[in-house]
Amino acid sequence: MGSIRLESVSSGDIAACVGCGLCLPHCPTFRASGEEALSPRGRIAIMKEVNEGSLLLDREAVEFLDTCIQCRACEPACPSAVPYGRMIEGAKSDLARARKVTPRLMRWGLGALRRRFLLRASRPLLVIGQRLHLVPRRLALPRLAWRNEPRLRNIAVDPDVWIFTGCVMDVWQRETHRSVADLAARAGLSYGVPDRFGACCGALHAHAGLRETSIRWAERTMRSMPGDAPIVVDSAGCGAAMKDYGTSIDTPQARIFSNRVIDAVEWLAGLLENPDVARSLAPRSADRPTVVIQDPCHHRHVQMVHGATRRVLAGRATLVELADDGLCCGAGGAFSLAHPDLADSVRARKVDMIKSSTTNDGQIVVASANPGCSMFLAAAGLMVRHPVDIVRDSLGDPP
Amino acid sequence: MTDEVIEALRSAIGSDLVRSSDAELRLFAHDASNLVGEAGVVCYPRDVDDVRRVIAVCRRFGIAFVARGAGTGLAGGATPIGGAVVICTTKMNRILDVDPLARLAWVEPGVLNLDLTRHAAKFGLHFAPDPSSQQSCSIGGNVANNSGGPHCLAEGVTSAHVLACDVVLSDGSVVRLGGEEPEPPGFDLRGAFVGSEGMFGITTAICVRLTPDPRDVRTMLLDFETVRAGTDTVSSIIAAGMVPAALEMMDRLCLQAVEAFVHAGFPTDAAAALLVEVSGAASAVAADAEAIERIGRQHGARSVRVARDDNERSLLWKGRKSAFGAIARIKPNYYLHDTVVPRRHLSDVLDHVYRIAAEEDLAVLNVFHAGDGNLHPLLVFDRREPGILERVHRAGTAIVAVSVEYGGVLSGEHGIGLEKRDLMPLMFSEDDLRAQSWLREAFDPLGLANPFKVLPSPSGCGDAHAHVEGLWV
Repeated sequence: MGSIRLESVSSGDIAACVGCGLCLPHCPTFRASGEEALSPRGRIAIMKEVNEGSLLLDREAVEFLDTCIQCRACEPACPSAVPYGRMIEGAKSDLARARKVTPRLMRWGLGALRRRFLLRASRPLLVIGQRLHLVPRRLALPRLAWRNEPRLRNIAVDPDVWIFTGCVMDVWQRETHRSVADLAARAGLSYGVPDRFGACCGALHAHAGLRETSIRWAERTMRSMPGDAPIVVDSAGCGAAMKDYGTSIDTPQARIFSNRVIDAVEWLAGLLENPDVARSLAPRSADRPTVVIQDPCHHRHVQMVHGATRRVLAGRATLVELADDGLCCGAGGAFSLAHPDLADSVRARKVDMIKSSTTNDGQIVVASANPGCSMFLAAAGLMVRHPVDIVRDSLGDPP
Repeated sequence: MTDEVIEALRSAIGSDLVRSSDAELRLFAHDASNLVGEAGVVCYPRDVDDVRRVIAVCRRFGIAFVARGAGTGLAGGATPIGGAVVICTTKMNRILDVDPLARLAWVEPGVLNLDLTRHAAKFGLHFAPDPSSQQSCSIGGNVANNSGGPHCLAEGVTSAHVLACDVVLSDGSVVRLGGEEPEPPGFDLRGAFVGSEGMFGITTAICVRLTPDPRDVRTMLLDFETVRAGTDTVSSIIAAGMVPAALEMMDRLCLQAVEAFVHAGFPTDAAAALLVEVSGAASAVAADAEAIERIGRQHGARSVRVARDDNERSLLWKGRKSAFGAIARIKPNYYLHDTVVPRRHLSDVLDHVYRIAAEEDLAVLNVFHAGDGNLHPLLVFDRREPGILERVHRAGTAIVAVSVEYGGVLSGEHGIGLEKRDLMPLMFSEDDLRAQSWLREAFDPLGLANPFKVLPSPSGCGDAHAHVEGLWV
């Protein structure tokens, strides 16, 4: 079993790491554990030794690679620009192909994300299950309301913008899609939503090492939103993956598609630069909730659009920054399901950081632009909202 | 490592804190240097009692132990030799107590340097030693190496900021060296311990001095068409009676590498740039800044840029402090020296450094604490090139020899470790080395604490010398 090499990790990428250790404090699993093997430098060294044949890919070595949350906070921290995200994703796909990571149940669960019917059907079951205390805590689900918001429907065949509705988001946080649609309407834009083939961007599959599946789904997603209108994505993880199609799928069409993808907060910040739109989206209420900003990793470290979160919330909330350089919350897509103990200790640090960040005694609102992070933090008892929802709230009732 | 030892360690501190998987042993076989040793087993103590228990097992079986923090050391100080027990302090990372009135803090050794500064920020205080690796390196490691940093020019190195250390010695006793009071009675054993590179024992709690944040700061970037113009400016600034908070120099290759990372607008066409920071009362800061600009211009500075705000200042510093890590943008490996030369000889020694590198057809990058005369010539290379290691080795030795010839020393702040151990006779006579060895024996008569480091050992440990991969000098 030990003779496996990580063929998808290039020796050139490995050689780009000089081992300085400047990534260590930015790594959530290193922070939670203090262990070299759970740091980017340690994981790269493991990849290197495995590929040079000086280390067998045994159970422990697999575990150290598998416990990476793939937040990619180490990338902007790296002075030598080591492409860590690409390396760990490659390593995980090699491990998944060898059936060393991502067990069958997880694969089945990820497969269900494309089945809107299954996801929708699961919601009432979960709501009832939660009331009866039958839902396992490790699923880390926040308490769901009885009724979901109505689905978004196409209002134009050739819309001004596409609103990507996705899989998990559309079932559990449809409210955010409605906020995006409402803001688009107030800005005088028509919108469309993808058909059922564009149901999932494939990001979670790529993280789990299921590269072939993720590419297949990405291609469907691209076909579901034709034309050249911008594609607004209100999930930081999906947006990061879709902006990366140009590299991961590497076709001319994929590159054109990727260039159309824009994060919802980034899009909104752009709209607000237009004085007319800024006027129609000016806050109506004098209330300024205290909002602690928790940047999703794929917002801050991958898309690097976290500045937009501050711009759209300015004047609508009293903003509180966390002094932890955007450390991950531990959700990591499906990571918190696969490694609940590690995810819990990463989250515990984050919750402490959030609670000690403000002396405000009232309800703290946490702003997070990614569904996985929101659910994971909400399950720890925090009130988490998407920045576009906070903007939407500042406007009062629709005109 | 025998199963018996591993079993004993497991029952001493718990099996989840004792690691012997192949993967972890390989990771702990080296620090951030090129020197690869052999780890027997890795222990993650949680507190002083765990450290005592691990050391008790080492004593029982007569096995050496090596303390390791974040593993950012550059001289092989934390590289285990011959299957030693690695005692990794990264889980001992609590800030135990901060006393803003007395301006001191008690910390565990695994606390990261910058974390302490951030924690103390709410009191308007900081921990002054700021090595380039300050965001990652641990305070235990700072104590072991008596680490420096850009701001140590005015504030002094780690030893000036450590008041006391609780230390577990190899005989199992726990002693407090130094104390919270400024001048404890008796010999300054704390002073002996700071910089002892893990060879006296393992510190489990450190009392550090916290320094008030400066009232006013000005950070300036001056760039020059020749390296000599830069170093002459350094000498003139010091000769004018000023001690800036920091006085750093970067040459062209360094500027190019870090600019590609931070995009701070470093002048990539300059031969060299000086990063100068002055701090203190506003009026003094203004006067010093003006004088430094004048001196720079006299030596032909092309431009003098003053950081407008904290963001620009921290971006400039981020560039300076990322230099080693940015090397892979040029070549995947580097070999770094840390010699200190008298400031008046900086220009001449640097000329030699460039000449030596050119003779061996190697790229060299210079980034250093100019105000201290502490050079960091980095020879950058790709170890996969045939024959390159010999050339790098020759160049490195020649650079050290030139530095010592000009009245310099082997290491400013990175420590001697394994890397410079065998160069010690360049500086010290046999009597000197024997005296150092006696001091070491007074703390660790059993010779279990990080053996084979710093002091070249004439006999008894020949095997250890032979087995270190990557040990060139």
